Amino acid sequence: MSENPFKIIRSTDQPPGDLRKEVMGSVKLMMLLMRFIQLFVADPAPAMFEKVRLAGRTRNKNVENGTTDGSEPTSKET
Amino acid sequence: MLFKKKAKPDAQLSDEDLVASLQRAMDADRFGVLYDRYTAKVYQKCLGMTKDKELAHDLTHDIFLKAFVNLSKFDHRAKFGTWLYSITYNYCLDHLRKKQRHQTTEIKDDLLEDGGPEDRYEQELLSFRADHLSSVLDALEPGDRAVLLMKYQDELSIKDMMEMLGLSESAVKMRVLRARERALAKYHSLYPEER
Repeated sequence: MSENPFKIIRSTDQPPGDLRKEVMGSVKLMMLLMRFIQLFVADPAPAMFEKVRLAGRTRNKNVENGTTDGSEPTSKET
Repeated sequence: MLFKKKAKPDAQLSDEDLVASLQRAMDADRFGVLYDRYTAKVYQKCLGMTKDKELAHDLTHDIFLKAFVNLSKFDHRAKFGTWLYSITYNYCLDHLRKKQRHQTTEIKDDLLEDGGPEDRYEQELLSFRADHLSSVLDALEPGDRAVLLMKYQDELSIKDMMEMLGLSESAVKMRVLRARERALAKYHSLYPEER
């Protein structure tokens, strides 16, 4: 029985040597981009704004209670 | 624990273990191990589909990058090799389809309806001379070429083809049948003296 012609025409060429360098370079660049996105985009600094808001709220409370030096107000009523 | 068990070297890990570790934490060196295992197969597949070394080089690069980016979507249901081949086939097909969108030739469906038994077509296809087969495959549409290569060159099962192409069993069988019939029609038009 004759050999399957599909097997005969199968390519046996090896990939060029520089391809590995290119692929790994692109993979590292992609990793860098993913890290960057993770750091600055995917986690869009809500914590930072939260702190700013909380600090502002504490300051307002302090002003209301008559203390402006940043120390926690003491409750005189209790 | 004072003495940690030394981890296996990356090259000894199975594909699935490597992928699982890459899903936990990206590591270019580990991905490099997968690259080394599959690059020849992916490149040869691209070359078989495109017959263009430069294009096969670019497609192989893109396929590995695509695999790396989508690694988190690999759900371990299929083998990693099957998953990578499905990316390879679909990426090459997309590329070739874009390229050949305006060069397609239609074959009347009525030619396909009144065929004989399936086996006869298969035997005839497998009796082509290799150089004739190569010309026939070049003249076929990329989709037909892809399914014939999957079936007769890579000898993939219908189940694997279903996964790769995202089709039902009957749809895959129909695609193979139609591709085979179109290949025969193309063969007879290219080599009428062989009839």
